[in-house]
Amino acid sequence: MTEVFSESIPESQAPFLQLTDVSRVYGEEVKVFAMRNVSLSIMPGDFMAIVGPSGSGKSTMLGLLGCLDLPTSGSIKIAGEEITTLDDPSRTRLRGRTIGFVFQQFHLIAHLSALGNVETALLYRGLKPAERREKAMDALERVGLGPRHDHRPVQLSGGEQQRVAIARSLVTDPIIVLADEPTGALDSTNAENVMQIFESLRSSERAVVLVTHDQGVAGRADRKVSMRDGEIVADEYKVLS
Amino acid sequence: MISRNTRDLMSVAFGGLFARKVRTILLLMGPVIGVAAIVAAVGLTDSAKGDLKAKVAQLGTNLIEAKAASSFGSQNPTLPIDAVRRAEQVKTVEKVASVVQLTDIIVSPYPQAKAKYETTPIPVVATDTRLPYVLEVPLTSGRWINASDNENAVRAVVIGSGLANELGYLPGESRTIDLADKPYGVIGVLGKVELDPSLDNAAFISFASADADFIKEDVLPTKLYVRSTAGTEQVTSDALRTAISLGGPKEVATEIKAEALQLAAQSDRQLQLIVASMGLLAIIVGGIGIANVMSISVMQRSTEIGIRRALGHTRRTIAQQFLLEAMVVGFIGGILGVLLGAFAILVGVWLSGWVFVLQTWIPPAGVVLAIVVSIIAGLYPARRAAKLEPLETLRLG
Repeated sequence: MTEVFSESIPESQAPFLQLTDVSRVYGEEVKVFAMRNVSLSIMPGDFMAIVGPSGSGKSTMLGLLGCLDLPTSGSIKIAGEEITTLDDPSRTRLRGRTIGFVFQQFHLIAHLSALGNVETALLYRGLKPAERREKAMDALERVGLGPRHDHRPVQLSGGEQQRVAIARSLVTDPIIVLADEPTGALDSTNAENVMQIFESLRSSERAVVLVTHDQGVAGRADRKVSMRDGEIVADEYKVLS
Repeated sequence: MISRNTRDLMSVAFGGLFARKVRTILLLMGPVIGVAAIVAAVGLTDSAKGDLKAKVAQLGTNLIEAKAASSFGSQNPTLPIDAVRRAEQVKTVEKVASVVQLTDIIVSPYPQAKAKYETTPIPVVATDTRLPYVLEVPLTSGRWINASDNENAVRAVVIGSGLANELGYLPGESRTIDLADKPYGVIGVLGKVELDPSLDNAAFISFASADADFIKEDVLPTKLYVRSTAGTEQVTSDALRTAISLGGPKEVATEIKAEALQLAAQSDRQLQLIVASMGLLAIIVGGIGIANVMSISVMQRSTEIGIRRALGHTRRTIAQQFLLEAMVVGFIGGILGVLLGAFAILVGVWLSGWVFVLQTWIPPAGVVLAIVVSIIAGLYPARRAAKLEPLETLRLG
């Protein structure tokens, strides 16, 4: 398997997430385009990386893809649903249903155990405590942390914390797992371990999106979207040879 | 049945409080001290008069005395002959007994003592069969004058507790005393009459005996003892004056017997108010403390809030989480405050020999006050928490 990319697009399907002519402008008087007329479709089964140097619009892209921010203009559809016209509570619930987040700094809640952190993603969904616990345990076992479910973040290594965060992102069964520099705070061994977990998440049921400036991480993806100055400059698929 | 989402909310709020114990203890201080101060202020000032309050409760405040007033300078004013029936016409009157103070009767336990009792006469009271029932004072020994005694003008006498003491009367003893040289058999001793101590030294005989032995004309009552229904003593007292005199020449004066005692039993309202206001101030300052500590906490927990928002928790849920934390602080602080306040009353009572009094409405009111103040204090931090943008708190990219 060599790293060759082509611009061919696989068979057409309904995209999980679709950006159409999206711009994001900051500032009132002096307008700064953080993103300009970007269109992007994230397809089921995608294992993609969004790459670019700092200031390229990656973070803006992450906020928009994660439904944490709204575009100044353009349309964003998640699972066919237009999010720009949704009210805040509906958008929040849609985010909770469809997107799982993994952050560079892990962002676990310090006073909760690993299990409690994973369970946090399942709150306010009408689940029985036992059901919630079972789902959370399953997710932790999936990242190999079942036996350490009662450990608090300070009792876990960075790699373990990130695996808890991955379990938390998976436990809601999202269609998109959105990871922001997931290996950025890890040593190479832990980074490799985390990348292997991400690779194991490839599924036609979901899309995995890694936002990174690390070409090594990007190279592991099947699809690479490159950004520069708020625009997509390349969108390539890895071709197996 | 609480919904699962509410239960989720409660587990998050309790978890948050339990995880930060020192902060939670700091939050609790305000409501605890404030409620304790208010409870102790009201309880201690009440307890200081606790023995008198208990006495008022035991004796009742509804005993009214209606007596003939001396108008037009008449020497021995009397009430109308049917005064009891007239008094009973007043709707709020429960029971009535009439008495006649007899004058110029020398009571002597034995003939040789007559000279002494001429100078310190024992009052003789002619009365009906209902007097102990109306006074609500039981006999300490023997029995009261009954209907048969009255019909047959039996020379039977009941003596007051003070008189029994003075005469060295033993319970059940067969004793004859002279009333104006007429031998009367002692049949019983009336208990201590707290609301009218003048009766303690009296000798009681039936109207018929008074009629037969001492009074030549009609026996007219000079005084009525009346029990009104509880709480109506003032209106009853006013109504009695008119009801008994009925516009006739006989004037009536009334007196609520427990009035002075009641006044003495009243708590020091001003002191109570001052100390309770200080407690209220403490709760308010505590509330400001809650608002302050929680606001800082919201800033410290901004990342946690951002994560929760990213995970799909709505702004409303975040606000509710903080409000619920404040409410739990108020609830627990209120309960601890009531306990601490009650303990302070106990210590005060123990040191001063008072009687423990804590009105039943105060503990729940204290807890409710603490909860209300805490919720109000939690509004601002909750609002701030809900306003946080996940994108700003999570430092992406």
